[in-house]
Amino acid sequence: MFGLETEYGIQVDGVDDLDVVVESMELIRCYLREDFVARWDYGLENPRRDMRGFEVDGLLNDRDETEHLQKDRARKIPLKDLKSDLILGNGARLYNDHTHPEYSTAECLTLADLVAQDRAGEAILRHCARRRSASRGRGVVRLYKNNTDFDGHSYGCHENFLLPRSIPFDDVIAALLPFLVTRQIYAGAGKVGVEADSRADPGLYQLAQRSDFFEVIASVDTMTRRPLVNTRDEPHADAARYRRLHIIIGDANLCEWATALKVGALRLVLDLLVAGKAPRLVLADPVGAVKAVSRDPRRRWEVELEDRRRTTAIEIQRAYLEGARELAAGRDAETDWVLGEWGFALDALGGDPAPLIGRCDWVTKKWLLDAFAEAEGLDWQDPGHRAWLQSQDLEYHNVDPGEGLFLLLERSEEGGVYRLSDAAAVDRALVQPPERTRARFRGRAVEKFGAAVRSLNWDSIEFQVDGRLATVDLKCCVDADSAAIFNDKLDRAGSVAELLQALSEAVPER
Amino acid sequence: MTRGFELGERTTRPRPMDGGDDGGDDQGPRRPKVERPDTDDLLRRMRRVDPNQARRYRQRTGQ
Repeated sequence: MFGLETEYGIQVDGVDDLDVVVESMELIRCYLREDFVARWDYGLENPRRDMRGFEVDGLLNDRDETEHLQKDRARKIPLKDLKSDLILGNGARLYNDHTHPEYSTAECLTLADLVAQDRAGEAILRHCARRRSASRGRGVVRLYKNNTDFDGHSYGCHENFLLPRSIPFDDVIAALLPFLVTRQIYAGAGKVGVEADSRADPGLYQLAQRSDFFEVIASVDTMTRRPLVNTRDEPHADAARYRRLHIIIGDANLCEWATALKVGALRLVLDLLVAGKAPRLVLADPVGAVKAVSRDPRRRWEVELEDRRRTTAIEIQRAYLEGARELAAGRDAETDWVLGEWGFALDALGGDPAPLIGRCDWVTKKWLLDAFAEAEGLDWQDPGHRAWLQSQDLEYHNVDPGEGLFLLLERSEEGGVYRLSDAAAVDRALVQPPERTRARFRGRAVEKFGAAVRSLNWDSIEFQVDGRLATVDLKCCVDADSAAIFNDKLDRAGSVAELLQALSEAVPER
Repeated sequence: MTRGFELGERTTRPRPMDGGDDGGDDQGPRRPKVERPDTDDLLRRMRRVDPNQARRYRQRTGQ
């Protein structure tokens, strides 16, 4: 079971003193036809709890953000109103995460569903932006599915995977680090320039938007001193049996191929971990390597291992790919697609990356930027020219199909953009949760019995029925068979009381 | 072009690219071989992008 959570950048044309916190709140509320009612249950969230068995006193913020937070506290809007948490009929969560509109997809079991749900999120936020532009009087609201403002402020696209708790977390870190540090060679979204490092060549084109922002190997923090592996322990499932692996290193992708491959490859690496067959590779300096790989202008992507041997990002990825092939080849069509495209990508990256235009975001964006620079006679080392290229970089991520460079390319006949979804699949994902998941139960429960829903979270729904409160616990509902039972009872129930009765009989331990 | 997972066939590719310096030797930074995107609309749109758009785009730190 896996899902994506994407924070979008927000800008309003012609408004220099934009209060992004309030603007994000107002944008989210544009989804609603009725007044906002706060129903998200924050009681089960604790971002300070660490996988390694302790809880920190507080999360870190940089100086810049600390100043913003002081201003936030003076704002007389209750936190629940500011966040404006919504659960949608498709099982997704739409809310204002601090200062960014965030769309968290429903839990998915297939990559096809994940891609469709992710694209549905783009469409939903686009709809909100249009309505907000119409209602706010001045300025067009623009949303960007990217991860940086080119001035040292990053925001995330996080991947979530359910993982057995029986695997020691140190083993998780060891197995994942070399993979995550090097995955950017096909999953990076590309970036003009370097942030948070005054010594670096500002004219560089990087593989990934996020790589500048990682400072430690493992930590519970996500906003400063960012870790390669986040240790937040919020399982959103039975904590005795599961962890939720919260991957914060990835970029937001526009290419569907990249979204599917980054998640699909990691899913296979987790299968290797569970099977005890992950490659035994140890990087000498993982934090240094993530930046070095992203910034390497020669694209050799060399890294040093702990035993002083030198290897490359491609060879590391090949080691994981070979392990995954041995473990999972032939399992199903999606697995074989991932294995095939993973190998195809590594072959291309070892030579001419041109076949990855329309698949891999950093290659696609670089292709556009180089063509534009050539047409306009731009020099990457000239600060003024580079600013224009950075603006093109930003507009690549604009989710307005009339303006966004990627979306224009995708729409063009000759763009060569590889699609995994189609319009019909995205339209379905706007309103339908993925089948055989607890997200379907959540989404359908909201649709069918929304008036009785008192509060909800990823793993529970509290109903008010006949003057009492009753909670449906979804912590155990993480596999397709369990979800099928819950969903069947929901489909058959004519009332909340019937649903609760049916579930109590079908799942007596609840 | 939509291709489902079950197809597994790459029937259409971007046009081959030529030009550029992609030698992979020690002659300095290399760049992907590129040619002008074959969509005139896209280049026209790129010319309309405000050169200062990214400079004005300021966000707060997220996760």
